[in-house]
Amino acid sequence: MIEAPPPAPPVADPLELLAAMSRDFAVAMDIEATLRPALGRIAEHLNAEGGALFLLDDDGSHLTCRACFGPVDITGLRLKAGQGIVGRVVAGNQGEVVRDVSKDPSFQGAVDEKTGFRTRSILCAPMSVKDTRIGAIEMVNKRGGDGLFTEADLHMLAALSTSAGMAILNARMAAALVEQERVRRELELAAEIQRTLLPRSDNENFPVQGVNRPARTVSGDFFDFMRLGDGRIMFCLGDVSGKGMDAALLMAKTASLFHCLGKNIVDPGRLMKAINVELCETASGGRFVTMVCGRFDPDRGAVRLANAGHEPPLFFRNGEPFVEFPADTPPLGLDPEITGVSDFPEVDVSLAGGTLYVFTDGLTEGRLPDGTMLGTEGLRALLTEAQAEPLARRLTRVLSAVDREGGVLRDDLTILAVEDRRHAARNTRPRPLPVAETREPGEILFAIRLPASADRLKYVRGAIHQAALGSGCDEAIAQDVVIAVDEACQNIIRHAYQGQGGDMEIEVWRSAAQLVVRLRDFAAPIDPSQVRPRDLDDVRPGGLGTHFIRSIMDNVEFLAPPGGERGNILRLAKAIGSRRKTRKRENAR
Amino acid sequence: MKSEVTTQGQAVVVAFAGDIDLENSPKARQTLLDCVGKSGKVVVDLSGVGYIDSSGIACLVEAYQAARKKSASFALAAVSESTLRVLKLARLDKVFTITPTVEAAAG
Repeated sequence: MIEAPPPAPPVADPLELLAAMSRDFAVAMDIEATLRPALGRIAEHLNAEGGALFLLDDDGSHLTCRACFGPVDITGLRLKAGQGIVGRVVAGNQGEVVRDVSKDPSFQGAVDEKTGFRTRSILCAPMSVKDTRIGAIEMVNKRGGDGLFTEADLHMLAALSTSAGMAILNARMAAALVEQERVRRELELAAEIQRTLLPRSDNENFPVQGVNRPARTVSGDFFDFMRLGDGRIMFCLGDVSGKGMDAALLMAKTASLFHCLGKNIVDPGRLMKAINVELCETASGGRFVTMVCGRFDPDRGAVRLANAGHEPPLFFRNGEPFVEFPADTPPLGLDPEITGVSDFPEVDVSLAGGTLYVFTDGLTEGRLPDGTMLGTEGLRALLTEAQAEPLARRLTRVLSAVDREGGVLRDDLTILAVEDRRHAARNTRPRPLPVAETREPGEILFAIRLPASADRLKYVRGAIHQAALGSGCDEAIAQDVVIAVDEACQNIIRHAYQGQGGDMEIEVWRSAAQLVVRLRDFAAPIDPSQVRPRDLDDVRPGGLGTHFIRSIMDNVEFLAPPGGERGNILRLAKAIGSRRKTRKRENAR
Repeated sequence: MKSEVTTQGQAVVVAFAGDIDLENSPKARQTLLDCVGKSGKVVVDLSGVGYIDSSGIACLVEAYQAARKKSASFALAAVSESTLRVLKLARLDKVFTITPTVEAAAG
């Protein structure tokens, strides 16, 4: 038995009841708690023995009694949609008076059987707002008179039901808005955190630039770059699978791992392996990250790159076709042993005045104003068109093609570029090598010509050692010069003649302040923008030797032989102080 | 360039004499890899090495990597000033285990 609600002030005018109920609903925090008293008021007004309020489930499959008034409590009773008189009323969105239930086949006598209550007359009106069906209110057994409801009663109930329906709908919308607001604020916080993970874009002249445009509040794409102590720059760009908060968190984790580990692990292949192991340890539900990681040496215009499952970066040098670097390994986060015990494979690129572009597929799959996809061809065309512009502006120009005012991004857009700034005439055709003078300043100590073969290196070393000592170098410097020249010879031996054999010519010149060694081969001209894969198992000294040469000598350059002759001259210069100064030092001892 | 392989205690000692340059490094490479393949502890005696270049360094690196893969130990001993200079140029002076004498590494 449900208690009657506290006696409400007698309401003669139904409109006043409506107003009173509306006020109740408007201030109610808990809509369901307000339903019962409201129901009570309606029952009072209509002089019904009892009443029930049914609400439709979210999926519209069932009607549940949410409030009840009268001698029998059926709160919680569940009916299939369309079942019973209530079901019929909701489905048809039409109120009904069933004056005498004994004559209606839809009547569910089951409840009466359980409760012992005897239903004689039913009044039922739908709660709906426009086309949204919310439920229905049912009144049973009119008191007094013949105990049967009238049409007038139905009109009243219909009005009251509509009002109740609107109130319920409003309350639901308000709750949804609150939830939306909460989610929105969480996403904004996440977005702000993500923004702090991106590198600061305060220097427009930095040779590495990147732009990220999230499609929604939080992004699954990221990029980063940072300067190492020795001036080289580590960079990365990645794309997390999926969307939403999960993807955003994985993005943050990967970006942080790069930033932290990349300070000490400066080989991209090794760095990605370490990041991969970490990501796999806390792998979440099949998510993975495609990523490109690289190291840029601005002094040499050289990039070492590793690509795990990512859209191939593009290398562009004016006047030459684009070069792509497809992924050598699957994405990160799938298998910690994906490369066995080896690091991820790397590729070496000599930018030689050109630019490397790394980007996510949000860019190539972005839509142009006419609705077509940009594609790699379209991207290449844009990059070629915009190449004369400064790097930062070039990137925003490319992004604007698919990210327009008033448009909606389908996917996050991210692009990063690494540019070799060393050549002033960056955007013109590559200049041929400068031509060597026929002679160096000072005097020539000796010139030798010999087969470019490994077994001759000891003779070269001996001669260079003597020449350096004789020029006033101390033993340590003389040994350094020997190392540099030996390595330079090795490069000729290995690469100039492609195993065919040929000669090399070495001249040593001594001027007031410098020792200059010229090494000449007679092979085809060097192409400075060579790209060669670096096999990790191949610790060929080619790369190491060049590093030795540049560390030891003050000036290293390739020249074309004078007179248009065939071959290349590698000129190595080292400042070693004047002869007079050296002698003075010797006298002073 | 000559090489000599002996054992001292648990360790296999490879001594090189002469220059390890582009001419000789292929031989040195093979000798080193053989030793690493057959032993869990390898010491490279470089006291007799007058000159080593980047190709020689590459052999040492390759042998070192091979040793690590099988959890064998690998050390350089009696490294001269000039050899140390080259190791420093290659930034490998902190990577290799370098001892002043063969005994220190083999013992």
